Amino acid sequence: MSSFKRDKKEEEDGGGNPFQNIEKTTVLQEARVFNDTTVNPRKCTHILTKLLYLLNQGEQLGTKEATDAFFAMTKLFQSRDVILRRMVYLGIKELSSIADDVIIVTSSLTKDMTGKEDLYRAAAIRALCSITDATMLQTIERYMKQAIVDRNSAVSSAALVSSLHLTKLAPEVVKRWVNEAQEAVNSDNIMVQYHALGLLYHIRKTDRLAVTKLVAKLTRISLKSPYAVCMLIRIAAKLLDEEDTGADSPLADFIESCLRHKSEMVVYEAAHAIVNLRRTTSRELAPAISVLQLFCGSPKPTLRFAAVRTLNQVAISHPAAVTACNLDLENLITDSNRSIATLAITTLLKTGAESSVDRLMKQIATFVSEISDEFKVVVVQAIRALALKFPRKHSVLMNFLSAMLRDEGGLEYKASIADTIITIIEDNPEAKEAGLAHLCEFIEDCEHTSLAVRILHLLGKEGPRTKQPSRCIRFIYNRVILENPTVRAAAVSAMAQFGATCPDLLENIQVLLARCQMDSDDEVRDRATYYSSILGQQDKGLYNNYILETLQVSIPALERSLKDYALNPGDSPFDMKSVPIAVIPTREEAEDKHKADGMIISSGPPKPPTVSREESFAEKLGHLPGVADLGPLFKSSEVVELTESETEYFVRCIKHCFTNHVVLQFDCLNTLSDQLLEDVRVQLDPSEGYTVLREIACPKLPYNETGSAYVVLQFPENDLPNSVGTFGAVLKFIVKDCDPNTGLPDTDEGYDDEYMLEDLEITLGDQIQKINKVNWGAAWDEAVATCVEMEDTYSLSSMSTLEEAVKNIVQFLGLQPAERTDKVPEGKTTHTLLLAGMFRGGIDILVRAKLALADGVTMQLTVRSTDGDVAELITSTVG
Amino acid sequence: MGLFSKFAFFLGVRKKEVNVLVVGLNNSGKSTVVNHFKNEEERVTEIVPTVGFSVEKFQNQNLAFTAFDMSGHGRYRDLWEHYYKDCHGIIFVVDSSDRLRLVVVKEELDLLLQHPDICNRKIPVLFFANKMDCKDALSSVKIAAGLGLDKIMDKPWHIAASNALTGEGLQEGVEWLTQQIRDVVLNKS
Repeated sequence: MSSFKRDKKEEEDGGGNPFQNIEKTTVLQEARVFNDTTVNPRKCTHILTKLLYLLNQGEQLGTKEATDAFFAMTKLFQSRDVILRRMVYLGIKELSSIADDVIIVTSSLTKDMTGKEDLYRAAAIRALCSITDATMLQTIERYMKQAIVDRNSAVSSAALVSSLHLTKLAPEVVKRWVNEAQEAVNSDNIMVQYHALGLLYHIRKTDRLAVTKLVAKLTRISLKSPYAVCMLIRIAAKLLDEEDTGADSPLADFIESCLRHKSEMVVYEAAHAIVNLRRTTSRELAPAISVLQLFCGSPKPTLRFAAVRTLNQVAISHPAAVTACNLDLENLITDSNRSIATLAITTLLKTGAESSVDRLMKQIATFVSEISDEFKVVVVQAIRALALKFPRKHSVLMNFLSAMLRDEGGLEYKASIADTIITIIEDNPEAKEAGLAHLCEFIEDCEHTSLAVRILHLLGKEGPRTKQPSRCIRFIYNRVILENPTVRAAAVSAMAQFGATCPDLLENIQVLLARCQMDSDDEVRDRATYYSSILGQQDKGLYNNYILETLQVSIPALERSLKDYALNPGDSPFDMKSVPIAVIPTREEAEDKHKADGMIISSGPPKPPTVSREESFAEKLGHLPGVADLGPLFKSSEVVELTESETEYFVRCIKHCFTNHVVLQFDCLNTLSDQLLEDVRVQLDPSEGYTVLREIACPKLPYNETGSAYVVLQFPENDLPNSVGTFGAVLKFIVKDCDPNTGLPDTDEGYDDEYMLEDLEITLGDQIQKINKVNWGAAWDEAVATCVEMEDTYSLSSMSTLEEAVKNIVQFLGLQPAERTDKVPEGKTTHTLLLAGMFRGGIDILVRAKLALADGVTMQLTVRSTDGDVAELITSTVG
Repeated sequence: MGLFSKFAFFLGVRKKEVNVLVVGLNNSGKSTVVNHFKNEEERVTEIVPTVGFSVEKFQNQNLAFTAFDMSGHGRYRDLWEHYYKDCHGIIFVVDSSDRLRLVVVKEELDLLLQHPDICNRKIPVLFFANKMDCKDALSSVKIAAGLGLDKIMDKPWHIAASNALTGEGLQEGVEWLTQQIRDVVLNKS
């Protein structure tokens, strides 16, 4: 009775969880009951439940404990109690990964899986597959094959899904079950059909042809299961995306026909697939959109959500198509489900007209505080898109954003708002003052250090060029007084920028910096001392080099070089020029990043920062004989394809440029399954002046593997004009015929063969690294003294617009556009493009291209470089 | 054991349950032996190599046996010991036509008898010199000598020549085992 009372009290305390106070050791102790001669099913079931509860709460069992519990559990097989047996299956599955010798239950499980008791069979299959290893799979293969085609749908499904899991363990064995899976696809049961298709696709997914055949066959018969049809649509969409067939492909027809399927799920899946196909045209889009439009009015919230989410995604790529749904979306703004409402509004923002912006913004403001951060980010992104589209609305949007900044929210949310404001500032000069003012206010009360640092950096860059720079300084100096060391250091740097740019503020800045030299943090003091002494020199050149321009080298490479230098210090001082320059991400990459985060689907946890491309190449090349002596890697070019991608041998080339050498990396892929290639090398026919120093062959190239061959060349000495050239290339190798299945060669003797590759060009751009000059004008003026200047005028008759010309010039020269001059303002007939870069060997290049649009584009190109030959090379190659 | 069930047991209404362990090298006929003890309708027609173990139930003279039919494959012999602790009897099946591996049988038997869970208990051990129908089969006496059974002093043991395919000799052996378990195990408790 007393225990009963206690139980009751606990129940009141713990919200009714009967397992709240159980402990691992007690449960394991209790599990010894399993060893009793006579099994008490009720008691054992209860103990097993506790054990499973513990495991699912994340309790860790040691191998010894788990094995003991497992073997005790195996004794429960003597009981014929159905519930207990099913609990045992669950227990086996949970412990199978921790305990030793779990294969002990194989026979017992096979007996259950082939037995008469239907309740056991499906569960026994699942348990059996969780304990099996690759060697044991052979023994149960026969039973699995039978189970896949079993008449009982639960058994069949269990076998199919388990097989899918087993493909990770022994793909070869599962491949042999393909006939059974094929038979199961014809099953009447919707789940079996779906699972069978899943397995079939998984087995064949590496073989394009087989998948195509499978889809072609299944699209002709009508599958009964809506799940299977959805799956088929996905496979078909994937195939369509991979191949470039015309719009009249039977697959596209199939997907289109699914829009008229009777199941809503299939209809949605088909619409979703059409909308997301890369090559969908507006004509194909129309039926899909009208289906989604229909769903917007559905009484089911899931359908409404799915439809509006898909529309939201399309709004980026096909805004015109979505406009048709505007009326339906308007109705959804007041939807009781906030997620649907948010998506509806953001979609409208993307597609709506300028006149409706004010109204929509007001609408959002009413419920923005009620939605989760995730959706707020979506709203912010929509506003960003809107601001780029309607620059004139910036004041409304900016006010809204600053109101959002003041609200509560996580880092990701705040960062996306700050990002948006920064984008607006960069894009729209009119919004700059207001935007900076909002950001200034925001850092007054910002709890995220990383964000505060970013904003301070931006203020340092942009602040000095505003009408009243002194206004910003007050905000920045407040940070020095109030914040943590990281922010204080950033604030000091920002102030120094003001000092360097605005001479009339210099005196005040010096006073502030002097105060900062009393700071308690080392970094802050160091920075303050450094800046104040540079500013004390009153030398414009120093300002430029050490305050306004930041280091251009790649930081990991700098770290490595310094470490090397510290380990074996030579007589000569450390040479900054020997450190590779950081690569500037291209605009497309940056844009891709923005696009990806327009969706609400989380793309998993953020990936750890990867080593830059150059870094990984440098690492790889360093291991090749002879390459390590060439010095640091200067630049790696984009990948150039030297063959069509469907040919027998697929060869791509990457050009690695060093100070005086170039290393060509040929990535070869052997696509013939009955050939083994050996000693694969590329023979070059270099143009005048080049000397081939070394050829490094790829010793072996089996089917479907990529191997690399290298050629090391020396640039023509003292002959820059000839460093731009075209090479003929031939792939040479020894072929050995081999068995397509095993990949083992039939004979030891092979024969020589060769394969013509397309010509390879070494261009000017390959030898130039981009450099980001923040203050291009200052550098240009300074360069008058030190540089050689060359000037020439060209007429680019093939270009019809300024944008096209700018794009081509940037691409051809491989230089970095400075001060956002790569964007041509609309409606102008003249434009000045400012470029900066570095030629191999550390030679600075500054280029100014004045463009004028008449018939075609006329360009006046001025090159300033520390080396006259380089300047000449540039002017001569442009023509 | 509750008063009621004890009472019921004496009246022979309720059967006493005991666990026996069936061990031996692979291909000695353990599963076939166990299969023969089962009811006519529960028997399986095809015996495949056991992987791990399987549990079977059969009855003999009011005693309900739960047989743990262990796999005899080399890889799984180490796992027998998990089931030593709570067994009331051991059936050790020997392939009497396999002269070559008789030493292996002896080794496994010695390991079994020396195991801490076995050596201090008075557990009856029943040997089946199986496959007696084979031409070159050793007689049960020779096998007993070969395994050194006469040295087992602290446990009751019995060897019976058998043919598990026909069932010959099995009944005799299991009746001895039943008797022993009654005497040794049940009277003690």
